[in-house]
Amino acid sequence: MLTTDKNTIHIAKNVKVLLVFLLGLTLLASVGCHGRSANYSEEEKQRAASLMPSDPELAALYNQTCKSCHAAALGGAPLTGSERVWRPRMTKGEDVLLNHTIDGYGGMPPLGACTDCGEEEFIALIRFMAGVEQ
Amino acid sequence: MQRRDFISLALGGAAVAGSGAMVSCSGDGEHGSGLQAFRSLETVYDANGKRKIPWQNWSGYLHSYPDKRITPSDEAELAQILQSAASPIRPAGASHSFTPLVPTDGSLLSLRKFSGMSSYDPKAMTATFGAGTRIGSVGAPLDAVGQALPNMPDIDEQTLAGAMATATHGSGHSLPALHGQVESLRLVAANGEVIDCSNTRNSEVFNAALVSMGSLGVVTQYTLKNMASYKLKRKTWIAPFDEFVDGFADMVKQYHSLEFYYIPYCDYVLAVGMTMTDDPVSPRTEDGDNDAVMELKLLRDTLGWWPGLRRWVANRAVKSETLQENVDTWYKIYPSERAVRFNEMEYHLPREAMAEALRRVRQTIEGNNLPIFFPVEVRAVAQDDAWLSPFYQRESCSIAAHRIFSEDPMDYFPLIEPIYQDYEGRPHWAKMNTMTKETFAARYPRWQDFSQVRAQLDPQGKMLNPYLKSLFL
Repeated sequence: MLTTDKNTIHIAKNVKVLLVFLLGLTLLASVGCHGRSANYSEEEKQRAASLMPSDPELAALYNQTCKSCHAAALGGAPLTGSERVWRPRMTKGEDVLLNHTIDGYGGMPPLGACTDCGEEEFIALIRFMAGVEQ
Repeated sequence: MQRRDFISLALGGAAVAGSGAMVSCSGDGEHGSGLQAFRSLETVYDANGKRKIPWQNWSGYLHSYPDKRITPSDEAELAQILQSAASPIRPAGASHSFTPLVPTDGSLLSLRKFSGMSSYDPKAMTATFGAGTRIGSVGAPLDAVGQALPNMPDIDEQTLAGAMATATHGSGHSLPALHGQVESLRLVAANGEVIDCSNTRNSEVFNAALVSMGSLGVVTQYTLKNMASYKLKRKTWIAPFDEFVDGFADMVKQYHSLEFYYIPYCDYVLAVGMTMTDDPVSPRTEDGDNDAVMELKLLRDTLGWWPGLRRWVANRAVKSETLQENVDTWYKIYPSERAVRFNEMEYHLPREAMAEALRRVRQTIEGNNLPIFFPVEVRAVAQDDAWLSPFYQRESCSIAAHRIFSEDPMDYFPLIEPIYQDYEGRPHWAKMNTMTKETFAARYPRWQDFSQVRAQLDPQGKMLNPYLKSLFL
């Protein structure tokens, strides 16, 4: 997630105008890095925002590391509790999801923003978000 | 414009540029230096064929394969762990350090269960927090009891322990680094002792432990000296480089907090000033805008080969800047979100040396046409008395150079680091540098005192990984 404000945009627009003028380039042709949306319903989004692991320690970890993206499906993150988007991922096997978590995947940073998490914690978090909490 | 936003945007431009990709090469593999060549992360399996989970820092530049990950629940468990766990035992906070303070093939220790505000004292205006509390989680509970930190770093992802241990700081003429706000702390030392300390109680341990890179044991809680909650007005503006740099020493006294960014290949700086106010709230806004990222990408990629034109475009672009003002409660004003990863070198210099040193940094970048577009951040920090504080009894200015994670810091930072040595610079403990034990010892008057306390509290060196051994053994 990149952030900006009006002044930054002013700079950007001025750069854009000048570059177009100087170089005759067609700008923004390569913009295309928005995450694809899975078209979640309002009900799915509201549910995701309220879901928390029942284990308080896992809940604290989820709150600190996963929730900001997965509870709002930011940057293409599969929405917490949306079984329809998690099912095809889970069928690939938990090792695949674990590898994606370790290496980073799409908009997710390596180790999923939890640099001190171990395998058990990653798996527990994945299972919770996929709606298959044990 | 928000300064970190600008950086994020600039970084985003480079991230998609695809140029200057970092070259993987073999390093010494020992993490014995504060600046070393990048080594690719390898996939490692244990004896059962299971992939080992690596640790890596926020930028992805450093990594290791801890044998054990340990998350103690209380001080008794922590003390037991410090007696029995495989060394090196390295506590990790948010892993935002660019120096190899954390890498271990022994035990990686998390303080995430030592989190939150445990008590506060409205008369003394103090509050006690678990050392694993993220800085971003300090503001709301503190404000709820009418208290505020006098200052905050601009990044709030770090844990209190990680930030204190590395002398993390904000900016302000009379504002010290975060550890300068500590009233007392509790240390579970590597030898098993639990030590409560302050300026008046176990003061030697206190002055050693405030900034200690997790080398004495593990700090479990901090009691912070606070002030009554307040609102801040945050202004950003553009100013001519020479005028602003020469006037900074006086101007910084007029603000609660003032800092600025030198924008490479531009004749203007971006200034960020904060003052206390009673004005109505006008919150900082955030707006994801990939278009702006792409414009800044285009500026470097398209005109990097023609510095004169690049400068002309940049000057024209920033000269139309308008003043930005926001007002909000303190903890909603200080931090800025940083989305794109980078590596960083930051040195703390005597306050009066900043202008000359910054001009030399600028000359090094622009005189050599280095492909740098990331603004260089300049801040002011007040002195303090922690033995290994880079601000130890020295009013300081900090110059911080950043490079996106996908480009090699080794062809940038080594070119500017010699400049700082001419001013007896002290590097930020968490940021890349090549200083050795001998140079550190010469620049820190209490280095030997610290070494003695460290040897008493951790005689076996359990907390020392190869980098820390290179400093303290």
